[in-house]
Amino acid sequence: MSFAALCLALAIAQSQDSTRHIAIDERLAADAHLHLGDRVSLSATPGESGSVATIGAIVRRSADPAEIARGEYKVRLHLTQLQDLLGYGDRVDRFAVATTSEQVIGSAAERINSAAFGFRAHRSRDIAVQTSATFAVVSRFHRAIGVITIAASAIFLLCIMLLKVDERRRDVAALRLMGISARTIVRGVVLEAAGIAVFGSVVGVGVGLATSWLVNLHYQGVYRTPLRFSIVTTDIMLGAVALSLVLGIVAGWLAARRLVHTPPLALFGR
Amino acid sequence: MSAMLEVRALVREYPMGDERVAALRGVTFDVDDGDYAAIVGPSGCGKSTLLNLLGVIDRPTSGTVAIGGERVDQLSDGRATEFRLRRIGFVFQRFYLMQALSARENIELPLAEAGLGKVARRDRARALLDYVGLGAREGHRPSQLSGGEQQRVAIARALANSPKIVLADEPTGELDARTGAEMIALFERLNADGTTIVVVTHDEDLARAARRMIHMRDGVIVGDERAR
Repeated sequence: MSFAALCLALAIAQSQDSTRHIAIDERLAADAHLHLGDRVSLSATPGESGSVATIGAIVRRSADPAEIARGEYKVRLHLTQLQDLLGYGDRVDRFAVATTSEQVIGSAAERINSAAFGFRAHRSRDIAVQTSATFAVVSRFHRAIGVITIAASAIFLLCIMLLKVDERRRDVAALRLMGISARTIVRGVVLEAAGIAVFGSVVGVGVGLATSWLVNLHYQGVYRTPLRFSIVTTDIMLGAVALSLVLGIVAGWLAARRLVHTPPLALFGR
Repeated sequence: MSAMLEVRALVREYPMGDERVAALRGVTFDVDDGDYAAIVGPSGCGKSTLLNLLGVIDRPTSGTVAIGGERVDQLSDGRATEFRLRRIGFVFQRFYLMQALSARENIELPLAEAGLGKVARRDRARALLDYVGLGAREGHRPSQLSGGEQQRVAIARALANSPKIVLADEPTGELDARTGAEMIALFERLNADGTTIVVVTHDEDLARAARRMIHMRDGVIVGDERAR
């Protein structure tokens, strides 16, 4: 099967014969109200009389971010069918070579480059890097925004936790007067802060997953693509919980230390 | 009868700008083992300052304090904390119970700090709750208890590690007259059972219930009488 994006003039034919089969993407099928078994007329330019083909398959579009903004439809034809349609004859623009192992890719590319004049062989990985350069830049922007957001919220959370612990200065004073040691108080506050931080981060991860699901649901509908616009990976979840835990421990420790180093009478405001 | 509390020439001054203000100006008295003393006097006379020094929360400018024969006026912060845990029971005007803990767990706090095992401290906490008449309320949180009940829990907590002396700062200050009377009865029972009590109060009924009333004014003791 060959793969091409075409400007198509489609006409639904009702009769049945032994026409060749083509595959169309689900976006085209939806927009043109086409179904399996429908017969269509294919031509290279609108208005021309073309060859008739039967829809043999409706395929899902690939999750390719490069295709998001394009309004093109995709049709898969047999190679000979495509050649007839375009009038290209026997011609090859590019072809792919699969190797048995990754180690021989370099030597295979060298052999093709030396043997096939006019061709240039590239690793698929290199092509992927070149074609996704824009997305790599966007990804770096996203990462930078994420780091700034996390840093700012970390400072904010730290301040909130310090204030929250400070609200309990009278409780801490009473504990000190009862003879509870500074070490026990610090340990208790840190454990509580860590517990709250982990609980909060788990709730946050849950909210993140739900939001991500809604974002994907919305934009996959808008752009009619299986591409996932928002991904919450295991690494992200673990990172969020770990960061929150560290913040909780640091905030709890700082706040508790400040309290236990203040004389109990001062904590009582005397 | 031996002295549980020995206070000698106690002075406490606070810096205020370039001057030093004396809250206590040479206080000397003893409290016998098993006694029940109320320190009374007008606001600002030095009662609370004296109680802070007796409770090893503060250090005197000069003078000495001994509890159970042990000097406590110059203890380090760590030693003072340990001493308060094992030898002194505090009862505050505003109870200061931990809101997240039940009545029993509040009492278990100082027991856990003292290293008592889980079963032992649970039994001890239950026994103390029974003693203050709240055996049926052990699982209730402070917010589910009345002011009088909270103060009873606070008293049970103060007794947790069988202290040599209980110090109370206006223990009826937040209670209505009827609940205050119940608290006075509880203090009397506590004293009758052998606990040494020193209470700072404005409450005349509470002061009259004590065996001894120490009157203070302007940082000195101006009267010391056996109430009954």
